[in-house]
Amino acid sequence: MASSLRLYLTCIRNTLEAALCLQNFPCQEVERHNKPEVELKTSPELLLNPVLICRNEAEKCLIETSINSLRISLKVKQSDELENILTKKFLRFLSMRAEAFQVLRRKPVQGYDISFLITNYHCEDMQKQKLIEFIVQFMEDIDKEISELKLSVNTRGRLVATEFLKQFI
Amino acid sequence: MACFERVSPALREILTRIHRAERPLEVDHHVHEFGSVHYHVKHSVTDPVYTYLSVSTPLLSSQGLPISSHLPQHTLEMVNGIFPGVMEALVPPNEGYQLTLKLDISRIPRDGKASTKMISDIASVQSALVSTQLKEILRNVESREVGYGIYKPIKLMYHPREPFFVVKQPAKTTAIFPMRFKEKEDVIIATAFFQELMDVGSSEAFRKAPHCIWSPIPPAELRGEPIEDLSTNGGFLSFDITLRHVQGKKLEKTVWSLLNVYTFVKWHVKPLHDVGNEEGDDHRETRKKTKKVDGGCTNVRKWMRVSKKKILGRNLELGNKMKRIRSRIKIHCFSRLRRKWLRMPKFSPVTRYMKLE
Repeated sequence: MASSLRLYLTCIRNTLEAALCLQNFPCQEVERHNKPEVELKTSPELLLNPVLICRNEAEKCLIETSINSLRISLKVKQSDELENILTKKFLRFLSMRAEAFQVLRRKPVQGYDISFLITNYHCEDMQKQKLIEFIVQFMEDIDKEISELKLSVNTRGRLVATEFLKQFI
Repeated sequence: MACFERVSPALREILTRIHRAERPLEVDHHVHEFGSVHYHVKHSVTDPVYTYLSVSTPLLSSQGLPISSHLPQHTLEMVNGIFPGVMEALVPPNEGYQLTLKLDISRIPRDGKASTKMISDIASVQSALVSTQLKEILRNVESREVGYGIYKPIKLMYHPREPFFVVKQPAKTTAIFPMRFKEKEDVIIATAFFQELMDVGSSEAFRKAPHCIWSPIPPAELRGEPIEDLSTNGGFLSFDITLRHVQGKKLEKTVWSLLNVYTFVKWHVKPLHDVGNEEGDDHRETRKKTKKVDGGCTNVRKWMRVSKKKILGRNLELGNKMKRIRSRIKIHCFSRLRRKWLRMPKFSPVTRYMKLE
């Protein structure tokens, strides 16, 4: 793993360990309602300062915390237009299956490629360390997946081109 | 990839069925392929010897105008010369078709290989028609030099809105294909494909293949052409065809490949475009791609070991909770009382009335 990536992921891990201290907090405005405060942002006293961690201009991570929920938004590295399309399609594929992932948000926050929403209920059902490991592992794997997809597109293009030119020989 | 095969698979199947039938069959089939090719096969019990095959296909047009709605004489002679005695072109053809063939199926041999080959050749009559047109255009049109080393291109149209250019030079013929795509994503995928095509074409294994160039701007050969023909978003793909590629049997393959360049490119681009859209697509490559992406998800999902049962259970619990909040206070046996005394009266619709005296 590149040293800059390791530092970046370590920083995110440490921030998540500090931020994932969530507790149940019913909605102050509507009784019997319990909403993730980080999404509503109606009560400033329940929100913590958002943390933006940038690896470079293209890759960054925004961690927004509140008393009962945490939102992590990721911007994935895209070096050319083909990677841009592949990233968009792959992450859209995952977002459409957000229910299976539980902590995945169906729509990313504006300016980012993918977002996670972790609530106190998730912390009750799942281990905090495992959640953090999942997020970090996701960030490592996503780059590999995009690179593999790009490679497979180019490989397919090469095969198709070979088949086409074989007809002339 | 039926669209790249010269032989129409549906037509071949119908002719094989007629040929192998022990008793005469009544057949009257209309077959539409790729939106623009139309076949009509007719075989009657009253006339069991002959089968009539009518073909309607978009013809290659030059300079934006159709050459003619009827086939030229040399094309009809070419068709008659394929299997004399078995296949005969009728003049005039049936209304709405460019060609009507009278086939004597009984003259096709009964043994496996020869009959299959003959039926396949008959079923590839549409590709033979279009290829012959292109060959004639390339053969008869002389290179038109308009300046020092500059030759005037010939504009040809096989599919509507997809013209291509042929520039005849003394040493070679250059086929130039302007590429246009509706969506930006298709442009990006196609650009990557064209780069690979150039790489493969310049490799040692394919030095005998036509030299292939892609450029985002119009090539010098198209200087002076109308702006609407030169405005593209996918660049220009050019093939240099030399004498080696048009000798003997290679001529048919080369001509057919040139006529199907656009189809080939779309075949590569479209499935990749549809991977993320999850449209109904039974293309094998798209399925493989989707499986690969789905397989990638297992790496991510392995950390989330929550089973579906738990999710459903949670949803059910929430539903029950909502019902408990909303329902009225329950009294023992009140439901029986409610059913007996508090039933809503049934109102029958007024369909008749009694006349008052």
